[in-house]
Amino acid sequence: MSLRSNKRTVDLQVITDWVTPSSCVLDLGCGRGVLLEELAQQKSIRGIGVDLHFDKISACVKRGLSAYQSDMMGFMAEFDDHHFDHVICSRTLEEVDRPNEVIAEALRVGRSLTVGFANYGYWKNRLDSVLHGRKPQNEVHPTTWQESRPANPLTIADFEAFCADQGYQITRQVHLRGDWKTPCSFARNLRAGYALYELSR
Amino acid sequence: MNDSDPDSIDALPAEPGEVGLVAPVDYVSDEPFTFESGRTIPGFTLRYETYGRLNAAGDNAILVCHALSGDHHCAGFHSLSDRKVGWWNNIIGPGKALDTNRYFVLGCNVLGGCQGSTGPLSVDPETGQPYGINFPIVSIRDMVRTQERWLRAIGVTQLAGVIGGSMGGMQVLEWGITFPGFVRKLLAMATTARESAQAIAFNEVGRQAILQDPDWNEGNYASGEGPRVGLAIARMMAHITYLSDASMARKFGRRTVANSKESTGAFDVQFEVESYLRYQGKSFTNRFDANSYLYITRALDQFDLAAGPGSLEAALQPVTADALVVGFTSDWLFPPNQNRAIVTALLRAGKQASYAELTTDLGHDSFLLESPELYALVRDFLAS
Repeated sequence: MSLRSNKRTVDLQVITDWVTPSSCVLDLGCGRGVLLEELAQQKSIRGIGVDLHFDKISACVKRGLSAYQSDMMGFMAEFDDHHFDHVICSRTLEEVDRPNEVIAEALRVGRSLTVGFANYGYWKNRLDSVLHGRKPQNEVHPTTWQESRPANPLTIADFEAFCADQGYQITRQVHLRGDWKTPCSFARNLRAGYALYELSR
Repeated sequence: MNDSDPDSIDALPAEPGEVGLVAPVDYVSDEPFTFESGRTIPGFTLRYETYGRLNAAGDNAILVCHALSGDHHCAGFHSLSDRKVGWWNNIIGPGKALDTNRYFVLGCNVLGGCQGSTGPLSVDPETGQPYGINFPIVSIRDMVRTQERWLRAIGVTQLAGVIGGSMGGMQVLEWGITFPGFVRKLLAMATTARESAQAIAFNEVGRQAILQDPDWNEGNYASGEGPRVGLAIARMMAHITYLSDASMARKFGRRTVANSKESTGAFDVQFEVESYLRYQGKSFTNRFDANSYLYITRALDQFDLAAGPGSLEAALQPVTADALVVGFTSDWLFPPNQNRAIVTALLRAGKQASYAELTTDLGHDSFLLESPELYALVRDFLAS
């Protein structure tokens, strides 16, 4: 199994474990529906994905999933408090405008919010920046500058400080090393390549 | 054409990918039909066409619902000398998005229409005269209820899907609400659960053009006569609402037409867009009945799913089918937000529903677009 598909699978497994069977799930930035399909098969969820792009929605529809072409905030504004059991924001937090508002709104429409992101504080990133004066490029952040999308990267320390500041409760968390496989239990902001959190208000 | 056998059509060789020669059929119901407005007629006729074959279970049918000025002739051509194919030929045929190798595709002219189905042009059996404006007020739900009677009568046990744009999309939604067990997939495009004031306003100007034409004569006119000027103006104006600034700029720009010999003055046709609209208006009067135009635009304006139940999600509560709504960025008649509102209401009601939006500059008529992306979406949704 390639590292790329291995990464995808680990991510899916953790999130799938956290989702309650037969619950109502909103996937923000659902892409082509890989995660929602897994959740539908493993946990019989009733899910809806949101994405900005027609081809992503089309791919979800082809998988038999429900998907909605829109920006996240516009979509969530249409729903009452706690309409969804779980809101998932997997690898999209770095690409949204005003992540604080997205998180707050997700915790309004959802009972819980799961976020997963690549840790920008990963030690190799620090080496690339400080020693080499280059944009980090390694197994955690594989793309070169010229191939990358606009992103607003975050570190584990950033995220945890933000949650503490906002009073969000971290109900579950998983940190993985740069191989996105081995659990990481200390010096996580330095050693972890990927982090997953489940939040509630 | 009452008892013609639709299967005989298939005996003719068709071009690959095309349905080829087709013929319309009339379904005649002798059972009374009571409109939502409370009035009853002793029976009705729906004119329809079919493409493909109904399977033994009777459940591979896809109903195509037409828009205001559309009809039952969705695909293929009626004779070898026909210059124009059916209005949605690009999506219906063997191997196309509505694959006639797989599905039994049907189109019918709506109740209140003027292309062969019962409407204001039909003879009222009580008076022996055309109904004219004595025809009962028609609703979108009435259209759908007559369709259900017809489909059951011809052996359809369940629809694999109902699809339509604009007014066709309204029928799709009404199908999902009124006959939830009878339809598995709802696919509505460029539509709305209730028209905006702007859309009603445009329809009203069209109606006024007809009503103010002296030849309308309170709706009493002989077949082939009537308010041709008023109907043409209504059509010219409505046609603008189906396009967009960008598409008109591309199609016509400010190009002018050469002066004709009998040119008499400053207000003759100067621009290509004028020539086009005049042609559209005039040709419409040859195929459409002014009273039908009044009735169907009224049905559009009065359509308001939320009005009775109090909210759109309450209205959509009976739906059991999977739904897909497609909006188009340049549609300013039934803009994307009105299409989105249908899907968010379905989701709030706990239904399976998707919303996709295509970036086009063709305006409301974008749903008729030749778009491989749209075809793939339609095909995959129906197959999923």
